[in-house]
Amino acid sequence: MNSQDQQLQSLLRTARTAPVLPPRFQQDVWRRIEDAEASAKADSWLDALASLVLRPRFALAAAAVMFLTGVFTGTLEGRQLAQREAQMNYLAAVAPHAIR
Amino acid sequence: MNRSLVILIGALALGAAIFAGSFFCARHTTMSCCEQPADDLNWLRLEFHLSDADMARIRELHEGYLPKCAELCAKIAAAKRELETIVGTGTNLTAEAQAKLDEIAGLRAQCQAQMLEHFVAVSRAMPPEQGRRYLAEMKKLTLGEHEQMEHSMSGETGHEHQH
Repeated sequence: MNSQDQQLQSLLRTARTAPVLPPRFQQDVWRRIEDAEASAKADSWLDALASLVLRPRFALAAAAVMFLTGVFTGTLEGRQLAQREAQMNYLAAVAPHAIR
Repeated sequence: MNRSLVILIGALALGAAIFAGSFFCARHTTMSCCEQPADDLNWLRLEFHLSDADMARIRELHEGYLPKCAELCAKIAAAKRELETIVGTGTNLTAEAQAKLDEIAGLRAQCQAQMLEHFVAVSRAMPPEQGRRYLAEMKKLTLGEHEQMEHSMSGETGHEHQH
């Protein structure tokens, strides 16, 4: 490198203006990076759950659990309602509403 | 919208539909299997686990009680109709209306006393423990409504009058 090149380089260095960064530039950059990471995490969590749900074995097991729970609670509820109805029938026969 | 979110919402909706469908089917089936509307005494047999001999005694008491109850109820209904005609036209509570109210109250008291006597008789026809439970249940169901109303009217359910 000759002396002219060196002069040219120093001239260029002095001529280059350093851009003025906006206030809190660094904090904003970090915040953006964190937001991007968080979004990626949430997406991956949802994706994992969705892929689990789409697995035939899991889907079938979940459907069976929902069906059996429905049958069980429905039977209990039906028995209670039938019992209550029978009680009301008895009560209507022995204690008419006019005297209760 | 995110594809995964759509899949999850769809799966939840499908699960809820399966649950609701099986719940309502099972409830309907159980109710239609258990109901025996022809027999008023079915509840006693189920609730108090009574034998055929107990049920026969209770049925006899029940069939003896029903005509007496119906007779008093008919008297109450007739007295109420008379009260309506007396009160219907006037704006004041006349002595005649007051007398009719007293008559209705007397008939109701008579009917309630007869009903309680019947409950006691039925409870004696059951095994002792079941009889006690039956009597307590029937008192609660038949006299409880009045008690609740009186409590709420007298302010005993929480607030007290400031004197």
